[in-house]
Amino acid sequence: MPYFGSEETVKELKRALSNPNVQADRLRYKSYITKVIRYMTQGLDVSALFMDMVKASATVDIVQKKLVYLYMCTYASDKPDLALLAINTLRKDCADPNPMVRGLALRNMCNFRMPGMTEYIEQPIVAGLRDKASYVRRVAVLGCAKMHSLQPRTEIDGSLVNELYALLRDPDPVVVVNCLRALEDILKDEGGVVINKPIAHHLLNRLKDLDCWAQSEVLTFLLRYRPRNDDELFDILSLLDPFLQSSQSHVAISTLRLFLHLAAAHPAVQADALLCSSAPLLATCGAASRELRFAGLCHIQQVMRSQPALFNTHYKRFFCGYSEPSYIKFRKMEILVALVNDENVALVLEEMKSYCTDVSAELAQAAIAAIGRIGRTYSEKCLDILTGLLALKQDHITSAVIQTFRDLVWFCPQCTAAVCLTVESCVDYPQDSEGKQALLWLLGEHADQISSAPYLLEVYIDGLKTELSAALKMEILTAALKMFLRRPAETQDMLGRLLHYCIEEESDMCVRDRALLYYRLLQRGIEETRKVVTGPKSDPSLSVLTSAQEEPVSQWVSIFNTLGPLSAADLQLHNTALSASEHTDDTADTELLTEHVPVSMRDVSEAGVSLCAGAAVSPEAFEQMWQQLEVLQRQTVCFSGCAADTLQSALQPVHIQTLAFSPARALPWRAYIYSRGSGTLVLAELLQDDPEMLTVTIKQQPEHQQTVTAFISVLQSVLQTLNTGQMSV
Amino acid sequence: MIHSLFLINNVGDLFLEKHWKSVISRSVCDYFFEAREKAGEPDNVPPVIRTPHHYLINIYRDKIFFVSVIQTEVPPLFVIEFLHRVAETFQDYFGECSETTIKENMVIVYELLEEMLDNGFPLATESNILKELIRPPNILRTMVNTITGSSNVGETLPTGQLSTIPWRRAGVKYTNNEAYFDVVEEIDAILDKSGTTVFAEIQGVIDACVKLSGMPDLTLSFMNPRLLDDVSFHPCVRYKRWESERVISFIPPDGNFQLMSYHISAQNLVAIPVYVKQNISFFESGSSGRLDITVSPKQTMGKVVECVVVTIHMPKVVLSASLNATQGTYKYDPLTKILVWDIGKLNPQNTQKQPNLKGSLSLQSGAPKPEENPSLNIDLKIQQLAISGLKVNRLDMYGEKYKPFKGVKYVTKAGKFQVRT
Repeated sequence: MPYFGSEETVKELKRALSNPNVQADRLRYKSYITKVIRYMTQGLDVSALFMDMVKASATVDIVQKKLVYLYMCTYASDKPDLALLAINTLRKDCADPNPMVRGLALRNMCNFRMPGMTEYIEQPIVAGLRDKASYVRRVAVLGCAKMHSLQPRTEIDGSLVNELYALLRDPDPVVVVNCLRALEDILKDEGGVVINKPIAHHLLNRLKDLDCWAQSEVLTFLLRYRPRNDDELFDILSLLDPFLQSSQSHVAISTLRLFLHLAAAHPAVQADALLCSSAPLLATCGAASRELRFAGLCHIQQVMRSQPALFNTHYKRFFCGYSEPSYIKFRKMEILVALVNDENVALVLEEMKSYCTDVSAELAQAAIAAIGRIGRTYSEKCLDILTGLLALKQDHITSAVIQTFRDLVWFCPQCTAAVCLTVESCVDYPQDSEGKQALLWLLGEHADQISSAPYLLEVYIDGLKTELSAALKMEILTAALKMFLRRPAETQDMLGRLLHYCIEEESDMCVRDRALLYYRLLQRGIEETRKVVTGPKSDPSLSVLTSAQEEPVSQWVSIFNTLGPLSAADLQLHNTALSASEHTDDTADTELLTEHVPVSMRDVSEAGVSLCAGAAVSPEAFEQMWQQLEVLQRQTVCFSGCAADTLQSALQPVHIQTLAFSPARALPWRAYIYSRGSGTLVLAELLQDDPEMLTVTIKQQPEHQQTVTAFISVLQSVLQTLNTGQMSV
Repeated sequence: MIHSLFLINNVGDLFLEKHWKSVISRSVCDYFFEAREKAGEPDNVPPVIRTPHHYLINIYRDKIFFVSVIQTEVPPLFVIEFLHRVAETFQDYFGECSETTIKENMVIVYELLEEMLDNGFPLATESNILKELIRPPNILRTMVNTITGSSNVGETLPTGQLSTIPWRRAGVKYTNNEAYFDVVEEIDAILDKSGTTVFAEIQGVIDACVKLSGMPDLTLSFMNPRLLDDVSFHPCVRYKRWESERVISFIPPDGNFQLMSYHISAQNLVAIPVYVKQNISFFESGSSGRLDITVSPKQTMGKVVECVVVTIHMPKVVLSASLNATQGTYKYDPLTKILVWDIGKLNPQNTQKQPNLKGSLSLQSGAPKPEENPSLNIDLKIQQLAISGLKVNRLDMYGEKYKPFKGVKYVTKAGKFQVRT
């Protein structure tokens, strides 16, 4: 912070602090110290006063001590040699009769972040652990963790750890929790604090004495414990029961997570717990703080994955208020879409309709996309609304509606006729690239049902020279070709012009290549072209997936009450809503690789985990990891073998990398593959010692069950595709 | 857990930082500023922001962003609630939680933050424990302190932390023993154009101020406890007794605390105390619009509706408003586009002359007619009435010999009360 006269100020303060007259007057002395602190908090560098401040710490006045300690902690790392002088005073204070002073001194001494502190603080900390005042013990316990973090690489002191484990039995609840926190920090490399049966039961019994923050943390620690048998499990659950209804929402939700985790084998108990906590969850959604409301909504979304009906009667609570922030509105819309049923559909749609004219364009578009998703089940009502929106003649609305139309036609072919009619009579066309692409797709795919299609397309072809987006140009090419196959007489001329322009004058390589490809394809003959270009017009099987499907609780419980679902804000919505680019990819895939049916990319995204290749893993690193890690899963798959490069090229598109494989026809035949997803690395070995069977062994670091499930499902579908491919050959 | 805290005002100035572990450079806030810019309005900043090495969890309150830096996985609600607790503590100590008061009381703020968290873990967050550690500033005490040189820091350890009942300190003594309960209900509702209820619910709390000597054991019972289906209690309440007998039995903390909160969502139980007739329309030509709003009381059970304020967020194109109010005053702020009509009391007797606001709006010339209609936010207050009909039956005290003064007060307010046009 630029500060005029800062040197002057510091000099003046220095003079004042060293003035014996000031020092004699307690009040004046303290007011100067307060001034120093004030300057410090404003960002002024007052480290030059260190010596004078150290002197000021020798006082009986606790406030003054506090202020000076605050000062010392801030500057200790800058002036380690001077800070050593202060340590003497602090150590003396650690033996003060007043526990408050002892605690303060110890805490601040531990907060000095400078090398070589350990030797000075070790002894006071150990003494502090046995102090009779709980305040000092609390500080000392955390001090152990701080001491460890000063020298993270040193050997862990076994006796200290044992002492901390013993202090878990301390009568003071805060000491107990601090012990857990400290042990967790110190033993981080060994997997954190160990929760065995006596500790777990001790903590459970003490739970009601703790403050709400500590309760929440202890509940998280208890996730590590696995009860031995059902009797013990139900004992634990009945102890936890009252906390499900805690007035602090974070405690209630932490309890719910533990509940779901412990009762993994008892779905009925899980369902009961979810029912029980639906009230606190809903209450969080009505909290005064918008951040809490948001978190509550995210959690409800998770719960709805397995119990979609739980909140059916409360759908009105997810109606958006006018002044709510957009991130809440997005979530509420997603929830509303999931809650739609025969009874409330009219009301929900009416409500959604009012969001479509929201001031924020992004929100309006999301609302339109949401109506589109409801339309997959209740197409008639939604089409009416969407058509009505076109009459508003707002660019962003028109664009979103057209995109929604495209998705609707793809998912439920029965709306095609109505959509085509609307597009036909539409007067205002989208202006942005995404919307144009959607319109072009509709025109190309359903040219036979839109009588004016060629004229519409001609406008785009004529305006091609001024068009900037390459994706749009490609879409125009595809649409023109498709239209040509259906209505050759009207399109032939413009397709010719288009191909000529794209091949001769276009500077974008991708567009030119696409044009060349189509040109050569046409040279092969119309029938050949038709076989390649026209794919299926819709995929109704997909819409089944979008209707509410009950997932098992285990699918999401591992990320319940974590930061993941909250920070992935509105990702999901955008994915499903306005994914024009993805769509073109899809169609491109179906066009060009008809044999390779888009290899289950969808299965992956459904599981909520997507794989990515990430950085390459060197063979040495792979080998080392493979030897270190434990086998996570072993599975046999039907597979009759294939050439190694076929396998490699089939795995590449689904982001699985092949590291090494044994020569073809060798028995046993082995291949090593890996992939990444959700921040974890999945390693797998494919072993074939029987001509028909393949054993897949999976290891992972760090463990994440969902990724493994996703990985296996992808792998299986790839292998299956290869199998069928071979049979047909 | 919570690694660092940054306070940022709504203009984007970082005015306070506190680190509980190692110092994290301010540059981490750049991710926040990026999100802030993307969000447009400060309200729209997402609460959880992911950065390559940290998570930033923020809350926006009283025009201040409380941005916390998190390095390990934590339950998100935990952090959000903690940040709110920090803001509430500031409010409690300084009367209001604003940039100016925080800057004025910088030293106390640092002391508080130091006590509330140690090494990133929540330490002392209960207001009455904190107040024993660090005394809140007030004018009188500041003067006394400057004269006598005494401090605003407690010289002794808080006693409450060590008693068997952690929320109550031992050896409490009062000359006047009194226990007051405030039943406060807020109506959250959305009404549609025609005045029918789209959605309504009541959020209720019972705040208590208990100043009783010794270790009193209190029992509070209601006339109609069946009304309450969704309740949560202060940790001092014995939940088992509520489940079996529907009475609230507890040893109270000393001083002010929130005894319970509840929630009533059955629509037939939620009475809407006012009736709003409105008509806001914009004309296609002539860049003007018309506004006509009438507010009248309805279902108030004979009580007077007070402090009625209607707030309307106008579309951006509305330049000014020339209106006529038959009761109260109105104000249109062309900068924020907010029209506020402060009506005051609604008179239940005079049904002929209901408060009415009527007149024309002038729009920016040439701009298209606004697409959406603004909605009305209503604020109101009804004294001596809990709109749900909840009534306290009696309060009994056991365990102590004296006779306390007892009192119950009811008040109903509008929460998120909105009328669509």
